This record gives sequence, C-alpha cells and structure tokens, in this order.
Amino acid sequence: MKRSQWICILTDVHLWVPAAVLILGTALLMTLR
Amino acid sequence: MSDQTGIAPARSTLSLHKLGVFCGLAAAVWLGSAEAPTKLVTEGFSPFVISIGMVMGAFVARWTVPTLLKGTGFLFNDLREKPHLIVWALLAGMLWAVGNTLTIFAVRNVGLSIAFPLWNTNSLVGLMWGCLLFKELRGSRPRDWMKVMGGALAIVSGATVLAIATTQQSGGAPGRAAVGIIAALGAGAMFGTMYIPYRKAYISGMNPLSFVTIFTFGELGAILTLGLIFFGGVSPLAGEIARARTMLFWPFVGGFCWVIGDLFQQYAAKYIGIGRGIPLSNTNQLWGLAWGALVFGEFTGLTGGSRLLIIAGSSIMIAGAVSISMAEPPPGEMENWHAAMHRECDRYGLDTSSVSAVVAGDDPLADHKHPRRWWEVLIMCLAAAVFVWLAAGTRAQHIYVNVPWMIVLIVSTIVPLALCGTLLWRRTRFS
Repeated sequence: MKRSQWICILTDVHLWVPAAVLILGTALLMTLR
Repeated sequence: MSDQTGIAPARSTLSLHKLGVFCGLAAAVWLGSAEAPTKLVTEGFSPFVISIGMVMGAFVARWTVPTLLKGTGFLFNDLREKPHLIVWALLAGMLWAVGNTLTIFAVRNVGLSIAFPLWNTNSLVGLMWGCLLFKELRGSRPRDWMKVMGGALAIVSGATVLAIATTQQSGGAPGRAAVGIIAALGAGAMFGTMYIPYRKAYISGMNPLSFVTIFTFGELGAILTLGLIFFGGVSPLAGEIARARTMLFWPFVGGFCWVIGDLFQQYAAKYIGIGRGIPLSNTNQLWGLAWGALVFGEFTGLTGGSRLLIIAGSSIMIAGAVSISMAEPPPGEMENWHAAMHRECDRYGLDTSSVSAVVAGDDPLADHKHPRRWWEVLIMCLAAAVFVWLAAGTRAQHIYVNVPWMIVLIVSTIVPLALCGTLLWRRTRFS
C-alpha cells in the first residue's frame, strides 16, 4: 500500500474507536486472570 | 484444475431487506446451536483452552467455507482490490478473540443464564456505532426508529427475562459475581464494536467471505498471544492444550458452527446494516435455550412461574425480531447509507460504480466462475483430517441427551442453512 493510504488508515476514526475498545478489553482480561 | 468462465443463470429479485432479515434469523439458529457442543465440555479446563479450541474450529471453518463457495482466486482478487480493509479484518478478529475469552470468564463466574443476556447488549452497542459512524437510521421516519430501537430493546429485555427464569434452575456460581458481570458487559462492548469493521468492509464493497479469511488470523493471533501471556510461555500452554486433548473436539465443533452463524450475520450486516442485523442474530439465545431445555434436560425441575417467564421472555424476543424485520429503511435513510459508502470510496480511492453494484448485491464478477486451484483440495483434506484426528481422540461424555429432540433441532438447524444459502446464492451469488 502507498504511504498516503496508510495515512488515510491511521487517521480514520473507524480505526481508532475499535482499537481503543480492544485495548480496554484486553486490559480487562488481564485483570481477570 | 479447469478454468470455468461460464455465466450463471439469472438472479432472483428478492429484496435485500428480506434477504438480510433471513440471514439475521439463520445466524441466530447457528450461533445458538454453536453452544450445544460446548455444553459437552466437562469442568476443570481453563477458559483460555476452551477459547483456543473454539478459535481452532473457527480458523478451519473460515478457510474451508469461503474456499468451497468462491475459491481462493476470487478471495485474493477481492483482497487485492481493497488491501486497506485487511487492517480492519485483523482488528475485528482480535476483538472477537478477546470478547470470546471474556464470555468464558463470565460463564465461569456467573453462569450462562446471567452472562448471555449481558453480552447480548452488544446489539445496542452495534446500533449506537451504526448510527454514529455509518449514518444508519439517519433520515428514517420516527416509526422506523421506534421499530428498530423498540425491537432491539425488546430483544435485550426478553433475554433478561429468560435469564431470570433460567437462573432459578441453573443457579449462578457463588462469589466473584461482580467480576463475571463486568466480563460479560466487556464482552458485549467488544462484540458490539467488532461490527464497526464488518460494516466498514461491506460499504466498501468487500465480500464477507474474503473478510472472514483475514479475520481469522486476527482471532488466532490474539488468542495465542493471550494464551502465551496467561500460561507464561509455549511449554505451559502446550501442556494445557495436551491435557485438554480429550475434550478439544467439542469447542472445535462449536467454533465451526459459530462461523456458519457468523457468516450469515456478516451478510445481515451487509444487507440491512448492523443496527437491524445484529439484534436479529442475537435471538440466538432462544436456540441456546431450546438446546438446553429440550436436548440436555437442563430445566426438568422448573416451577410453573419459571415456565411462564420463559414463555414471556421468548415472546418478547420474537416480538422484537418481528418489529425489526418490518423496519425496511426508507429512501431518506438509504441516502445516508450511500453517503457513508461514498465516504469510503473518496477516502480510499475505490471505484464508486463497482462498489455500488457490490453493495446492492450485484457484484458483476460473482457471476463468473473462477478457476479452482490444487491447494483448495489440500485445504479441504487438511480440514477433514483435523476433524477426524480430534474426533478420534475424544473421550465419550457422560451427559443426558434427548435423542429425538436432538434430531429435531439438528434438522431445524440444517433447514435454514439450506434455505438461506439458496436465497443468498440466487440473489447475490454470495457477494
């Protein structure tokens, strides 16, 4: 993929919302073990 | 392998809304039935190992089913045209793996009856993201809002009533209840958010079958990484999996069935959006209940009041599903759906006319048969070999099973698969 497409991906709110939820969910899972 | 380039017969004219509703309901049947094999797992195994077993089954299913239906040539072409979506497919897989592991912790701490409706709140989370990020329901009439919102709330309420009724029988695990509830709600948030990548892929014109082949690397990678962290290295993890060898077949089959349900769910998300599709597929609790009550005899000692609650909860859920099924998006809302699609085309340089055709279920390439490759036979043989190997080493489980009801439910599971699969083929050629 071109650099410009990576920039589009990294600045897409559709990426950051699920990424943030994934980080929070993983943190929750780590506290449960 | 021969290079077939023949054109398939004319397509049906079934509306995409009706097709999406059928897919959502078929998804519910298979997602609910996927629980049945996991009920055969006896106590004493780590939630992680059970989750790894499910992910193994899911991995095999996510490669074999798309390969069987479309062939690897079609799938790789689709991925090459929209490479940016690989990032979202991997992300969705990771969300599923973490969410699925959270559900197993939740079931361990508070029991399936309480955990299930709590993580079913994912439909409300999905509805919120669909509205906020993809303009779903925007521009629709107040009565459509009422039908969808009311339907989704009815499904969650019905799930809660069922939980109350069944908890009286099965009982929650003592202690650690708060942790279990937090885990179940966390799973709901993970699953609800997982639908963001689903919807993004489908308004960009990606085929659901291509999406899931990449999705599975995300889920397998995430679950193995989490397993390594939890068990403290490769050797302890391998030892734990080896100890669970005699029961691994059951979560494996559960994961395989889950993927078939998820594929229907993906098509529902594509054709009616996540706001409508996910609440419909969340009626899977009814099927899980049917397996528990009719096949495994879990509620034999149920009181009259509890039976009434089960009938009430099931009726509320069915009413919610009917309400959503009747909320076909009006032209005003469809304009917003198209605006969301154009955003993707502009941002990632996609061909708008081609994406519009695929979104409308009319992928022009889907009518052309793609060449089959030798490695596709290898994939099928490997999948069959894994099934046989796991089945051969499985110890018989001493658990009550009502065989006549089991046959009825297996037939009731296969009929929607054949019916909805045929509808999808005739209308969209699985595009």
